Formats: sequence, structure tokens, C-alpha cells
Amino acid sequence: MREITLSQAVNEALAEEMRRDETVFIIGEDVAEAGTPFKVLSGLVEEFGTERVIDTPIAEPGFMGMAVGAAMTGARPVVDLMFGDFIFLVMDQLCNQAAKTHYMSGGKLNVPLVLRTNLGATRRSAAQHSQSLHALVAHIPGLKVAMPSSALEAKGLMKTAIRDDNPVVIFEDKLMYQEKAPVPEEEELLIPFGQAKVKREGRDVTLIGTSSMVQVCEAAAELLAGEGISAEVIDPRTIVPLDEAALLASARKTSRVIVVDEGHQSYGVTAEIAARINEKAFYHLDAPVLRLGAMDVPVPFSPALEDITVPTPERVAEKARLLVAGEMIHAA
Amino acid sequence: MPLDVILPALGMAQESGVIVAWHKHPGEAVAEGDILFEVETDKATVEVEAQGAGFLTGVSAKAGDEVPVGQVIARISASAEGAAAEPEAEAEGPPADEGTQAEAPALPEGREVIMPTLGMAQDSGLLVGWLVAPGAHVGPEDPLFEVETDKSTVEVPAGAEGYLAALLAEPGEEVPTGQVIAILTAEAPAETLQRSAAGAAAPARKEEAERPTPPAVPELLEETPKAAPAPAAEGRILASPKARRLALEAGLDLNRLVAEGLPQPYHARDVERLKALPTEPAAAPAPEAAATGLHLTAEVAEEGFTAFTDWAAREAGLTDPKALLAALAGPCLGRGAALVRLEQFNRTLYFTTDPVSLGAVAPAEEAAPDLILRDLRDSAITGLRLGPEAAPVLSLLSKGAGLSLTLEAAPGQMSPQAALRLLTDFAGRLSQPLRALL
Repeated sequence: MREITLSQAVNEALAEEMRRDETVFIIGEDVAEAGTPFKVLSGLVEEFGTERVIDTPIAEPGFMGMAVGAAMTGARPVVDLMFGDFIFLVMDQLCNQAAKTHYMSGGKLNVPLVLRTNLGATRRSAAQHSQSLHALVAHIPGLKVAMPSSALEAKGLMKTAIRDDNPVVIFEDKLMYQEKAPVPEEEELLIPFGQAKVKREGRDVTLIGTSSMVQVCEAAAELLAGEGISAEVIDPRTIVPLDEAALLASARKTSRVIVVDEGHQSYGVTAEIAARINEKAFYHLDAPVLRLGAMDVPVPFSPALEDITVPTPERVAEKARLLVAGEMIHAA
Repeated sequence: MPLDVILPALGMAQESGVIVAWHKHPGEAVAEGDILFEVETDKATVEVEAQGAGFLTGVSAKAGDEVPVGQVIARISASAEGAAAEPEAEAEGPPADEGTQAEAPALPEGREVIMPTLGMAQDSGLLVGWLVAPGAHVGPEDPLFEVETDKSTVEVPAGAEGYLAALLAEPGEEVPTGQVIAILTAEAPAETLQRSAAGAAAPARKEEAERPTPPAVPELLEETPKAAPAPAAEGRILASPKARRLALEAGLDLNRLVAEGLPQPYHARDVERLKALPTEPAAAPAPEAAATGLHLTAEVAEEGFTAFTDWAAREAGLTDPKALLAALAGPCLGRGAALVRLEQFNRTLYFTTDPVSLGAVAPAEEAAPDLILRDLRDSAITGLRLGPEAAPVLSLLSKGAGLSLTLEAAPGQMSPQAALRLLTDFAGRLSQPLRALL
């Protein structure tokens, strides 16, 4: 199968959906000629023109509000938010308007809108361009949140998001844009929301990762395999809706769980998933559910400091060893 | 040591900036924080401050020039003469490269040309080819080499005037952005240096370091208890939810792991050890009643069994008093047919008994009994405590005109309620055996 970058995968998904449905359009800063700073949208304005790939001034609340209105009146906008950190600027349009319109209009209005943005640290972009803020929107009822972990998911989730009649926020990891993965070319790729993917089967411990943390978990599992510890890796793919059944099944199977996510650890995605497993698989747990998120500090600009704020395969593996050792020490 | 003045990256997506104006002249003294020059990006015009004190020398970009981000456009030197004596001032070489130059063939001194970052997400560029012959003279705007990225192929200008004295990458090589790939010297070089980028101990990239394996950091998150082998805590046993559930499902007591001296907390694996322990503690000297089992006694003031045997032989043709005794005892277990072992001194007999019909009692083969009946009526023994056996044991002793009955059972063989019922029932039958027929 051919391999394409995550960037190309998103580009393909958008192009395919824009060809299929003429109500789909892109709006945001530097989306047309510039193709975004990460060059994800390169070539789209040439095919679809400036009517459907719309460059805006630097005014996030403005173009987000326009997109919500467009979505209410029949269009399917894909809003491009250059950095996930800017989501604070569109919170009212997103959380008070888009998320609640269907509910408050008694179902008379839909907001079929996609907000495309990014997350991820270690790009040396400092505290205001490195945050992973997906937990903030996952907290708001009425918003769906997708977190692709590879080019395959990036394409499949984007196409599903565009066809969804409700607002969807997609967080891409900005460090993964150039990472390649096999993506089928022939058939239409749609990944349903709320379906986790078991990336690796295991016996002793479950590693639940989101976005690029899936790769961190897979690398940790590889480290652990060399030590005789069998780790299962699961990618929820969407955190809203969350495939709770798949996560609980794995927790019951291995009895030990570590949840890894790049958002700040406190009050974050790791806390939510750990709590659900505690509530619903308590009597199957042989150890406490552990969380591993980003350190609760603004992301440092210094590379040396920045690198220690995020989960790494080594740190995940270290946690896993502790969990498993709870038993192994006694057996020795 | 002179301080390089570079064109700063002022925006995330910025590749170059236009020098709007210099605020200092070459040779002019500058203090740290003085405005050196103004630069315009696609977003804004920004004044750039001096990062140190000294004299502005070696200014290589003039107002109106568009300069790539990161390029050295001037220096802040210790003396104003640094400007005139620039080649000499540079004799000590770029400080960062000292280590790597020690082992590599000596690089000529001059302006370093790096593999540029042409896109936001670009980590490296493919050197397509050199557009200038080694040793040739170039001006700042002259295309020096061609780079292919995943988006496009770009001709990169020299950025400064000089002679191409060193070519540190070969066409076809993928070179990380920021790596030095050429050196321009002020004087025409006597000989030129050519080598591949892979072979060179390349100077470290300045900005975009790959994610390094971080040093071990103190654990900042919550610490998992390192299975501290806590001495068996008084009171609640420390065990995982799963271990408790498994023990409960198997009817096992985690207290036995404590007795075995296993350190807490207990996990699922410890329950496997619990299952493997022998069902009865080897020599349990524990004085608790639960550990030794049940021991009940009863008395029958006036036994009716002897008279009953006569009656049964006469009226019902049941001539074996031993079978009759077993037939009265078996149904007291409160279940269906039972196998009763009757012990009389050295004789051991087995009978199957019927819960309803006394006459249905029949001799049986030796097997694991449901009830042991120890008939000691003819002995002088007046009391006993022999401990439990494989099945509950009923002992009969004579006591005056009546009987003394003892029931012993191992833990788990029968509940206290069942034991009380059995002994009460049996005592009643021996007192008035005819009741068993009603």
C-alpha cells in the first residue's frame, strides 16, 4: 500500500469531500496561497478557488462566528485554526453557539462544522504555540473531538467529521505532519466515531494513548516486550464519543491500565478515562489506574526543559514496570 | 569575542525578513538593548535590540535587503576597528565549531552557509546541485545551490559576497536544515575543500533539535508504592480489588496469606498462591473453635432404643440392631440416602440408609461415608474429644439409664445449624425411636 504523510492525508480528505459536496468550504488564516504554515492545504485553492478556500484577516472570533452562521444556513465549513492555542479566542462561537444551537433550537438547526486545529509540544514554539487543549472542548456537551494518531486516522476521521451534522473539533499533532503511514488509495476511507482501535495486543498492562501518544505507547510496548512484559496499546481515536466498552474490555483483560495524553495531566483526558475505568472495572483491577499527561506547567521554550514536560516511551515503560512489579516482587 | 547579529525569527511561519533601516552605523558603539535595526515581516515591523555591548562591525545587509532568518547580518565586536579588520577578527573562527574542527580537515575561515529551512514542517533538504564552481566568486544575490524539499525545488542565493572555499555536502545528499554546507571566504582560496555532509562531523543544528532522550528526571507524578512489604497490617488486609474478588469467588481467605507471612499488598498472582496452599493448615494449634471444628454433646435421660430393637425384630422382622442404629442416624443428616459407617470396637460396618423407610437400610461396601457412628455404649468411657475426621462423627456413650451423645465435625463439613439439628434429631430418635416411624 502507498504511504503518505499526515499532511497529505488531511489534504486528500478535504479535496475529496469538497469534490463530493459543493457546500464544503475552508476558512481561516493563510489557508489559500500559503496553504497554512504547515503546508497542509497546499494546492486546494488552485483547484477550488478563493470562494471555497477563504483567507481571512487575523481575527479568529470573526471567522469562527461566520462559519457557525454558514453552517446553520446550509454550508459545511471547515474552519482552520492555525494553532490549537488560539482556541481560547473562539470559545464563545464554539462552545456557546456551535455546541448548543441544535439543542437550543429544539433540533431545528444543525451546525455541521469542522474545526481543524493542532496540538503538541517539543516543536520549540514556546508556551503560546505548544499547548494541547483538547480536554477543554471535550468537556463541552455538543462537541465531538477526534484525535488522529496517524495519516490513516487523519484522513478517515476528517471525512467522517465533514459528513457529521454536528460540530466536530479535530486536533492534529503538529509534529506528525511529515510522518508517513499506509493509507489505501482506492476505496473511500471513513472511520466511524467512537470506535477505538487495538494497535497491539497484550496481556499484562493496557496503554491507552491519544494522538501522537499512541506512538509513544507503541514504542513503550516495544521496550517492555524486551523485558517480558506484554503491553496492549489502544487508540480511542475520538475522545468524544469515547469507546468506553473497548477500554473497559482491555482493562478487564490485563487488570492494569496507564492512560497517556499530551494535555496537562490535571483535570484532563487521562483523568476522565482513568475515572471511568475505576468506576466500571474496579473489581478487575489489580493495580491503580495510572495517568501520564503533560506536566502542569506552561510549555517551556528551552528545548531541554520542554522535552521533560511530555510523556516519552521511557517514562511510560517505567510506569508500566512499577505496575507489573507490584506482583512480581512478591512472586520472587 | 564578537557577537553575531542575526536576522531573528519573529513569526512562526517566517522564512525571511526585510531590513527596513539600520539605527546604528558601522563602527558605532552600541549598548545592550539599543535598537540596532528594524525588520519587516509579513505580519509586522519590529525593532531589533542589541544582545550585548560593543561596536557594530561587519554589517553585511543594507536597508531594503530581504534576508533569510538566522543569517548573520552584522557583529558586535570589542573594538570599532573590528569593522576594518574583519578577516583578522575572525581568525579565531566560529566558536561553536572548535571541537568538530579539531578532528576534521581544517575548514577555511569565512561565512558559513547553512541548509535553509524553507517550510514550516521541513527537517531536511535534498541538495540537488551546486550552481557555482568550487573557488568561484559569488555575490549575495547569486544562486549558490539548489535544494529540493517535499514541496518544491528552490535556488538558494549565496546571501553574502565571497569565494566558495568549502563545499560540505554533495549533490543528492539529504542534509538536515541548519547544517553548514558551504563556507564563503573573503579572499580567493588557495585550494578548495569538498566533502559529503554525511562524512562530516557536522556542527549541531541550531534550532530544531530532534527529540532527545531526556535525562532521568525526578518522578514528578504520583509515585506507585514500590510494593513496600508492609508488615501484615492489623485490621484490613491490603489487596487489589481483583485479588479480593478472585479470593471471594474461590471461597478463600486472604488471612491465610498473612499467616503464611507473605508481604502485602496482595495481587491476583497471590490468590494463585493461596489456592495452592493445602486446604487445611498442617498443624493448626489455633485454639479457636472455628479452626478445630464443631464439638457438641447431648444427653438422653432414658434411652428407648433397646426396647425398640425388640419391637422391631418382633413386629417388622428387622433383626440387626446395628443396622437399625444406622437407619436411625442416617436420616438425621437431613439429606437423601446416606452412607453410614458404624464403628463398634474393632468392627467396622457400612450401611446405606433411606430418609423415609427404616426397613430400607442395607449393608454396603466400604466407601467414603457421609456420617460415622461410633457405638461406645459398652465401654467405660464417659466423655471424649477425639477431633474431626473425614465425615461428621456421632459417638454414643452410656450414661446411667440413658445415653451421652457427642457430635464432632471438621470446619466446613457442616454448618453449626446443621450440627445442632442433627444431634437434636438423633437424641430424640434414641429417646423415642417410634417417632421415626411416624
